Amino acid sequence: MVAKDKFSKESFFASPLYDFLSPFRPVANQYYAEYVIVIFALVIRCAVGLGSFSGENASPMHGDFEAQRHWMEITTNLPISQWYWFDLNYWGLDYPPLTAYHSYFFGKVGSLLSPTWFALNSSRGLVTPDLKSYMRFTVIVSEAALYIPGVIYFTKWFGIKRRQSPIGTYIAAAAILFQPSLILIDHGHFQYNSVMLGLTVYAINNLLDGFHGPAAICFVLSLCFKQMALYYSPIFFAYLLSRSLFSPTFNLPRFTSVALSTIISFCIMFSPLYVFGGIQNVLQSIHRIFPFARGIFEDKVANFWCVSNVLFKYSENYTQDDLQRFSVYATAVGFIPSFVLMFLYPKKHMLPFGLAACSMAFFLFSFQVHEKSILVPLLPITLLYCSTDWNVLSMVSWINNVALFTLWPLLKKDNLTLQYVVMMLLSNWLIGNFSFVTPRFLPKFLTPGPSVSDVAETYRRRSFLPDNIFWKLTIVTSYIIMGCVHYLDMFVQPPKALPDLWVLMNCALGFSCFGLFWLWNYYKLFDMRNKSFLEF
Amino acid sequence: MAKAPKKPAASAVVDRNNPKLSLWNFWVSCTLLKLLLIPGYFSTDFDVHRNWLAITNKLPLKEWYFESTSQWTLDYPPFFAYFEWILSQFVSKAVREDGCLDIVAVGKFGFPTVLFQRLTVIASEVMLFVVLQIYINKSQMAERSANFVVASSIVLSPGFLMIDHIHFQYNGFLFAILIASILAAKHQRYLLCGFFFTTALCFKHIFLYLAPSFFVFLLRVYVLDFSNFQFKSYNDLISIVQWKNLFKLGSVVLSVLAVCFAPFVRDWSQVLKRLFPFSRGLTHAYWAPNFWALYSLLDKVLTLIILKVPCVHGFLTQFIAPPLIPATIEEINWKIQQYNVGTKGLVQDVYFVILPQIQPKLTFFLTLFYQILAVIPVLFSPSFKRFVGSLTLCGFASFLFGWHVHEKAIMLVIIPFSFLVTSDRRLLTPFHLLVSAGYVSLFPLLHESQDFLLKLLYTLVWMIIYSFALRQVTKMSSSVQRRVFFFDRFALFYIVMLVPMVFGVQLLEALKWRYAVLQKFEFAGLMIYSIYCSIGVLSSWVGLSWLYNFDEPLWM
Repeated sequence: MVAKDKFSKESFFASPLYDFLSPFRPVANQYYAEYVIVIFALVIRCAVGLGSFSGENASPMHGDFEAQRHWMEITTNLPISQWYWFDLNYWGLDYPPLTAYHSYFFGKVGSLLSPTWFALNSSRGLVTPDLKSYMRFTVIVSEAALYIPGVIYFTKWFGIKRRQSPIGTYIAAAAILFQPSLILIDHGHFQYNSVMLGLTVYAINNLLDGFHGPAAICFVLSLCFKQMALYYSPIFFAYLLSRSLFSPTFNLPRFTSVALSTIISFCIMFSPLYVFGGIQNVLQSIHRIFPFARGIFEDKVANFWCVSNVLFKYSENYTQDDLQRFSVYATAVGFIPSFVLMFLYPKKHMLPFGLAACSMAFFLFSFQVHEKSILVPLLPITLLYCSTDWNVLSMVSWINNVALFTLWPLLKKDNLTLQYVVMMLLSNWLIGNFSFVTPRFLPKFLTPGPSVSDVAETYRRRSFLPDNIFWKLTIVTSYIIMGCVHYLDMFVQPPKALPDLWVLMNCALGFSCFGLFWLWNYYKLFDMRNKSFLEF
Repeated sequence: MAKAPKKPAASAVVDRNNPKLSLWNFWVSCTLLKLLLIPGYFSTDFDVHRNWLAITNKLPLKEWYFESTSQWTLDYPPFFAYFEWILSQFVSKAVREDGCLDIVAVGKFGFPTVLFQRLTVIASEVMLFVVLQIYINKSQMAERSANFVVASSIVLSPGFLMIDHIHFQYNGFLFAILIASILAAKHQRYLLCGFFFTTALCFKHIFLYLAPSFFVFLLRVYVLDFSNFQFKSYNDLISIVQWKNLFKLGSVVLSVLAVCFAPFVRDWSQVLKRLFPFSRGLTHAYWAPNFWALYSLLDKVLTLIILKVPCVHGFLTQFIAPPLIPATIEEINWKIQQYNVGTKGLVQDVYFVILPQIQPKLTFFLTLFYQILAVIPVLFSPSFKRFVGSLTLCGFASFLFGWHVHEKAIMLVIIPFSFLVTSDRRLLTPFHLLVSAGYVSLFPLLHESQDFLLKLLYTLVWMIIYSFALRQVTKMSSSVQRRVFFFDRFALFYIVMLVPMVFGVQLLEALKWRYAVLQKFEFAGLMIYSIYCSIGVLSSWVGLSWLYNFDEPLWM
């Protein structure tokens, strides 16, 4: 009885993931579970990769796929001094240097296989099946090398610390690895977010293990891969500073190691630019990385500026500089409380909440936000699948669905409708959100039940919904509105005057859900400051 | 109440001794995966099936087997044609306008047709899940979890994933019928067994390869009765035939055949010509991993040796008379020029330089010989295990020695073997050899680079799961004879080396443009695949045959 109760208390009890992984419960078999999860995660990524990518057959500018391919083309063919200057109107390089080195590496390897893929100028807009496969392959390799091991280590660390069963931690790892938004953006739309996010997870892992210098290095690398990692920087800064200054006492060696590793790794990252192009080259790269000349938001995105723009036309009343100032103030107001909390209470189990609060503030209020930027706050939120608190898990599951929903206009443009639907179903079904709909009308011998686990035949897992009635209503209402927006989008033409009406509704819903979640997240962060690890 | 799921009542946990074991979760997850494969690569078989949809939908029944606008003429038995006709009734207007039902030389169609046909494969495959769920439910408690492992290994099989959902065929559905007949045999429902097997045969005549085993088994257990047999005169032989049973079985089989073929009885010669095209070559487009792959390798090696060291030829001619071996070196050179062997492997026919040519008759007799060897033990002791063993060996014989064998036919061996493997741990080694070599040999079917990682990883994870799961549920060896340790390790080495082989060939393909040597041996990659895999399949056959013929306790 005792043993059974122990199993049934697990957070994903009776979900399909629990069912699939329960044969691996005996100690001798646990070793397999990790491989099985990782390989299936890769198989799903390969299968999503069969679909189209952004800008397929869209001359002359194409999309992110072409941008990444073009960067491989410039980095492999041009000297470093020209990387940030070459033909800036056609997908000029505007990511930090590590992206450039990453492109250089995969560009060189790819040129070994076929020199035409990345030939200077002549390869523009090139798409062959083999090139597509190669590019998809590079994303999978990058993710398998960085993001996946990082996540698995994180879940194991939390699992051991909280005396979870190993299978419980593997289930959490699988839930995190099957997060649909990242899969669809990286392997469908085509980007390398998993590299940046993977390096951030490594930084978190190092903090968990108490290696502060290496954590700083990993975070700097993450920042040097994609500037979006800046959304996390206040929390890392607060945590590292607080740990070095007064937690528990002033620690000079730690302080120096963090400071030195940060400075040195930044220097190493930018030094090739300096050595081969002088200070001008470095300044140009920074100018390219932070494009303040662009608008306050791009396309339609579920953040404050885009949504409130409907009521109040910012661009007609304010100059670009004013808007920049406003966004800086708003963002600062948004993230400073999390910064202060993290500085005063630098606890390990607060890290995911702190990172989520801070990066969500950036997403909601900062300047020049893309819809894809939601992946940044989504990473620490998704890492909370390690929690055993039903309410936390429910909120995480909800916000993952909302985030996926806000990516819908983008994915629709990329022709990834099928992949969107399948991934939404799969990710929810795996964690047991659809267990309540299992059909009963089938003949008795086919009535779905557990495959191999010890769950009773008649037992149905409840979907993830918090206990609080307010949240329950909010979440269910938001799901209903999502369904309606999808219905309208599919079958009803928007009015002539407002061609983007459905997209705007999507953004408005996304913004309100993210905002509410953000407030809840702040409440949790505040609530957690004096709690111990086990109550997490 | 709301807090219930957090701490489920003890009733949420079921007794371990009465597991439910449903395939539902497997069905949902692999259906979702298969949906993701819809936009991927498909082979010419897709257009073949589309053409059949068009033929059966647009033409009257009697023209089905005469229509030849497209080169992909209807060459499956009539039940499959009826099946296509039924499917064509579900073609919606949008798909019809897309060109799904046009009888043209080369199909012109877009995404709607692809979506429709892919969905029919996924839908028809439900049959496989249903049959295997019945198999699990009907099994006894003691063997239920073993049977669950077998059933799930079949529904998740990389073979079906690659052949049906990427390459494009309807094997999941067809094998469901075959499995139904095996299942009927297991539960001693012999009429049902005959019915299902005949039906399967009328869907796809490749199941003829398994017919000897079914024939002998049903004859022995259902029609003949030796229980009170005492030989006094030859008249007693008549009394062992149970005439009532013979009549019942015969009428079931004949009526199925009649329903299938009756509408075509006037054009029987045309139907036969379509079903059995003997004009094809010994090997399919490239070599299936069977005996003939090794035979042609031997021929190539001998040619090379004799051309480099001519005295070997002189030595050999002293023992072997000229018709069996070329008389002079000049003849060898002439033959090489004539057939242009070595480089252009992708032809319908393969000619041998040193070794004798292979006639269809020879392959037919070899197949029949080994099939007879496989069914004789069933005559003596007709247990269910023996029967499944003979089925597997019949599949093996036809795959290894048959004429114009497709690499896809390996499923005909793997599926029966799956029902056998859990009965004894010593069967695991031949089984793992067979599935690893067999599934890897399917890789060249999906030659596009986008499928490379997918097929490799899926097969790998399947192998990991089932090498682990099967070891958990198989019984320890029933006989006192110990396994040969050396062979097990050797088999493991062979299986592990498949991975570098696959990567090496892929690299060879990728670097082909760079090196002229690689271009000269254009089909070297395919050859490596078929030769390496044929070693695995052959050794699996030898291992199983040994246990089948010389290890009595296993089959009781």
